[in-house]
Amino acid sequence: MRQPGAYSNLLSGGKMGPHSLPLARIKKIMKKSGEDVKMISGEAPIVFSKACELFIEELTKRAWAMTLQRKTRTMHKEDVAAAVMETDIFDFLVGLVSHTPNPSATLES
Amino acid sequence: MTDENDRLLPIANVWRMMKKILPPNAKISKEAKETMQECASEFICFVTGEASDRCHKENRKTVNGDDICWALSSLGFDNYSDIMLTYLHRLREIHTQRAKQQN
Repeated sequence: MRQPGAYSNLLSGGKMGPHSLPLARIKKIMKKSGEDVKMISGEAPIVFSKACELFIEELTKRAWAMTLQRKTRTMHKEDVAAAVMETDIFDFLVGLVSHTPNPSATLES
Repeated sequence: MTDENDRLLPIANVWRMMKKILPPNAKISKEAKETMQECASEFICFVTGEASDRCHKENRKTVNGDDICWALSSLGFDNYSDIMLTYLHRLREIHTQRAKQQN
């Protein structure tokens, strides 16, 4: 299997720019998504690097709109949750934002 | 902590992407950044699962870029899918050009 570095070198510095996310980490997350996921082409994490960028940008934009509705300039977790609730394609995140434990606080059962 | 390294995207990278969208004086709580981190990982798992199902149905073992693009469209992320197909096409063009140069 080709090393992701080969693709990275092709793209960095060009119009497509360097990758914003570590490809090895993306690949690890992909593998954890299911036991069926065994082989991943070199280009798949690169595609995800860009797709995640689009996703994070969209969710951030929508969450910020929620922040502004509260007439404040500090985004909180609740703003991200509200953005998820009001966007159909983010339905898969509803369980996550409703129940995400706060890693900074004591764990709740 | 090792588990976090495996299942989440680095928070610094996530934060950098968020900053691109936000005005300079915006503040983001640590919890909001962590939630975004979790959501991004879940996005990868969600789309990969769909792509992997398609591979399985077509008796293919390797999840490739086309599968990711198809899964994005299938799950309602049509606008991402269009951008990604162009990106993937360009990626393959560059790879072909490079391969020709090396030959």
